[in-house]
Amino acid sequence: MREILSRLLATGGRLRSAVSRDESDGDQLATDGGATVKTTRRDSLRNSLPIEWELIESAPFWLPPVLFAGFFVYGAIAWNFLLSLTDYNGLGGAQYETFDFSMYSRLLSDGAFWQAAQNTVVLLVVFTVLCLALGLFVAILIDQQIRFENTFRTIYLLPMSLSFVVTATMWAWVYNARNGVLNQLLRGFGLEGALVGLLRPAGVNAEVIQWLSWNTTALAAVIFALIWQFSGYAMVVFLAGLRAIPTEHYEAARVDGASTVRLYARVIIPQLRASAVSASVVLMVFALKAFDFIYALRGSQPGANMDILATMMYRVAFDSLQWAYGSAVAIVLFALALLVIGPYLYSEYRRGEL
Amino acid sequence: MAQLTLDKVTKTFQDDDGEIIAVDEVSIDIEDGEFLCVVGPSGCGKSTTLRMIAGLEDITRGEIRLDGQIINDQPPARRNVAMVFQSYALYPHMTVRENMAFGLEESTDMPDDEINERVEKACKDMGIFELIDRKPGELSGGQQQRVALGRAIVRDPEVFLMDEPLANLDAKLKAEMRTELQELQQDLDVSTVYVTHDQTEAMTMSDRIAILNDGVLQQCATPLECYHEPNNLFVAGFIGEPSMNFFPMTLDGSTLTGEWFEYELSDETVAAVEGTTDITLGIRPEDIELVQSDTGPNVFDSTVHVVEPRGNENTAHLQFDESMDDQFIATVGGMKQLNAGQRVKVRFPENAIHLFDTASGQAIRNRTLDEIETVESVV
Amino acid sequence: MSIRDGDFIDQLRSTENSRIGLYALLLAGIAFYLFPVETAVMTMFKTESAFARTLPFAPPGADGFTLDALATAWNTLRPGLVNSLLMAIPATLVSALLGSMTAYGLTTISWRGQVGVVVLIIAGIFIPYQAVLVPLAQFWFQVLPGLLNGFVNTVFGFITGGNWQYPSRNGYVQLLQLSITHAAYGIPICTLLFRSYYQSISDEMIEAARLDGASAFSIYRNIILPLSLPMFAVTLIYQFTQVYNDLLFALVLVNEPASQVATQRLAALTGGVVQSFNTTMAGAIVAALPTLLVYIMFGEQFAKGVAGE
Repeated sequence: MREILSRLLATGGRLRSAVSRDESDGDQLATDGGATVKTTRRDSLRNSLPIEWELIESAPFWLPPVLFAGFFVYGAIAWNFLLSLTDYNGLGGAQYETFDFSMYSRLLSDGAFWQAAQNTVVLLVVFTVLCLALGLFVAILIDQQIRFENTFRTIYLLPMSLSFVVTATMWAWVYNARNGVLNQLLRGFGLEGALVGLLRPAGVNAEVIQWLSWNTTALAAVIFALIWQFSGYAMVVFLAGLRAIPTEHYEAARVDGASTVRLYARVIIPQLRASAVSASVVLMVFALKAFDFIYALRGSQPGANMDILATMMYRVAFDSLQWAYGSAVAIVLFALALLVIGPYLYSEYRRGEL
Repeated sequence: MAQLTLDKVTKTFQDDDGEIIAVDEVSIDIEDGEFLCVVGPSGCGKSTTLRMIAGLEDITRGEIRLDGQIINDQPPARRNVAMVFQSYALYPHMTVRENMAFGLEESTDMPDDEINERVEKACKDMGIFELIDRKPGELSGGQQQRVALGRAIVRDPEVFLMDEPLANLDAKLKAEMRTELQELQQDLDVSTVYVTHDQTEAMTMSDRIAILNDGVLQQCATPLECYHEPNNLFVAGFIGEPSMNFFPMTLDGSTLTGEWFEYELSDETVAAVEGTTDITLGIRPEDIELVQSDTGPNVFDSTVHVVEPRGNENTAHLQFDESMDDQFIATVGGMKQLNAGQRVKVRFPENAIHLFDTASGQAIRNRTLDEIETVESVV
Repeated sequence: MSIRDGDFIDQLRSTENSRIGLYALLLAGIAFYLFPVETAVMTMFKTESAFARTLPFAPPGADGFTLDALATAWNTLRPGLVNSLLMAIPATLVSALLGSMTAYGLTTISWRGQVGVVVLIIAGIFIPYQAVLVPLAQFWFQVLPGLLNGFVNTVFGFITGGNWQYPSRNGYVQLLQLSITHAAYGIPICTLLFRSYYQSISDEMIEAARLDGASAFSIYRNIILPLSLPMFAVTLIYQFTQVYNDLLFALVLVNEPASQVATQRLAALTGGVVQSFNTTMAGAIVAALPTLLVYIMFGEQFAKGVAGE
């Protein structure tokens, strides 16, 4: 159907509009009605329905799952919005009596919220950009017709198969101030002292770098660990994009005498735009969901430097039982996610990719 | 037996810019056992027409009747038609046997052993019996094509519908399958609607050709009628390879005047074109004669621009005026040596020219067919 | 072709030395991506005194070797592992099957307006789960028990005497609730994975099946489902990993210690006051074991799921 339409559109200039049709068609239509063919109930049903038969035919397949998922996703979001307009807190059931935006105005004057929002945005942007860059670099390395390609790729992607809780546990040990790998290595290279001097926040008195608690390093440490975990994802997406580029493009650029760096910069990387866009949308969403990692690392009170909206929401709602306030934070988080995926989905829709 | 009738069949699509007419009041009668080719350029509505017959597309207006019964609203499976697709559309996870049995299992109550018997017979007929337990992925393109045909045959339908079934085969196999398909169709004597964009296929295989353009039926006639007596400019240009040469002319008395040459018409012809002044003159490349001297009327000087040797014949691209971008094509015998740049005299014999009304495109006068000879059988 | 200085990728490609450089970089990549895991594995076999003394990534010496940490971690996590599998496997199967059905109804059968439903489903993949947490807790712990109590005690009041209580605090009930929740939130991504696969299935083949007289159900059962088996492998593996790895839903929906899942138990172990890294590392490895095994066996399918193919 779609194919036919597009074929038709391609010849658009030659197609005539319906306006010029004469009225005799009306009669034609009328005689159709008196069909003498034996029709079963299904066929007559099929014809008398005001909506497409395909819609009815397909409904048993998609409607129940869509209702099921729709209730949990969109029903819950609507419900969450409703809750954010109440003053619901503490134990006991929610009271749906008065609705106002008091929780949102409270957000605006809450320093912790602004801190968390700022951390969230920094995490989102820095993590996504660096992840893409590293993923692209690794994908180009892997794309050089290397041996054991599958092995390399599998190992690079391995962190992504691990739970945030597992990776947080491992990185807690890597970042451990006294015995962690990082500080031991720095110590080995004689860099620890210099870095302590450089990174130590004012008023802190320590001889070892406390990566996860110093406000100078905490967020960066989280971002670095997340890049470790998800750059493999960016690599897989870019690799698929690279493989979709015909070899002729490489060969043509070579014939034109382009060096490899110029070949990639001018010919290949510009063609990876679609991969970069879809990868960055997914990565940003991962970043918004980084709750599990931070929670496993520092619990629900990770401190102002590491607090993101996701952890703040959980703490406010489930530790302090301020349900309505937590719901308001959640709505802000949801709006952020919409900001990321809305334009993406819209552009995909416009390009007919949905 | 089956007679398929398309009566003012129309298909429109809704689009952002309004309604698009894909098929416009097409009426064709397909006789029992007839092989009808539907040809036209891409986007002309030929596949849509076929899909409406199959029941894969709704019919916006008009009727499709099978033996007088309107089948507009019948679901595909109940129309008693079988279709062969361009991609063959075989089920990749099923063996040849399962592929062919699937339709019988789904649409009939036939017992399993009878289904099996019919499938095996169809496989034998198609010469693919030894492949019966293989999957499509293990077969060559030609073999898959046979399975697709076999799957249609086993249903024992009243009408075969074929959507460019040979398009994916290489040239040699295509020629082979063309003959085979024709034989098969004759043996089975089932009405067949065959869609193709390849006019050679249409010419060589069909009893009649239906030519579509922009969703409108241009002509429905035997291949030779379409070739020698085209209804209009479109048919004249579409059928035949290389295609007919066209020259826009104006009639003044008995003289056709064009940009490059003047053409003298006989009184008889002038009478036939009475009343039309803007005329397009058409002549097929093989009807253009190379002559040594001005042996009569309608001989023109021209220069050979390019020669494409084809072995059995040469296709010569000629120009009246070297400095201009006018070009026309003449085919001459393969043994005649022609060189680019050479000056030659060409004659457009009057009995071979076609005249069309430039405004409407309709044919006013087609070539005469006096020269047709019948080859007598040797006793 | 001349090679300019600094054009190092070019050198990598064209000369012998550069190949070595390329592989050196690739091996450095392996070190980067594996060192936290390697460190964890080494540390979990070390005694308390050994992991404080030695380099974290060095193997334990003969005197510093112990299996105690692993044993402790195993005993702590084992019930969590069982719960995780009990919860994740059904959730994964349900999501995959429903996702496949949804994708079929929204792709192979085409009807006007289906893009709207598709957009809603795809957007559902990207929802931050925080946005549904409070309602989720409300639903499972307040609304549903309330409704069920009322219903059961009204309809079957003659049996229950009006005293029936929905077993909200039952560990298995909580696991079931978690499982259903995961199944629901898994549908969008599973639908997307199947959808892109079904889009590649030839329309002509489906039309051929319709001409053969197959119903929508028969086409799904006899053609689409058998052809989807490789995609089921991809989806099941990807989705199992996602569900198994989740912590957030479990934190909110499971509060009975006996029914806590592996990630919850590991988080508790890590967040403990006493940081015995050999035990927490052993815990991390034990908790990661199911997904690691799946990944090692089906890495290819996981990569496909990740790439959304």
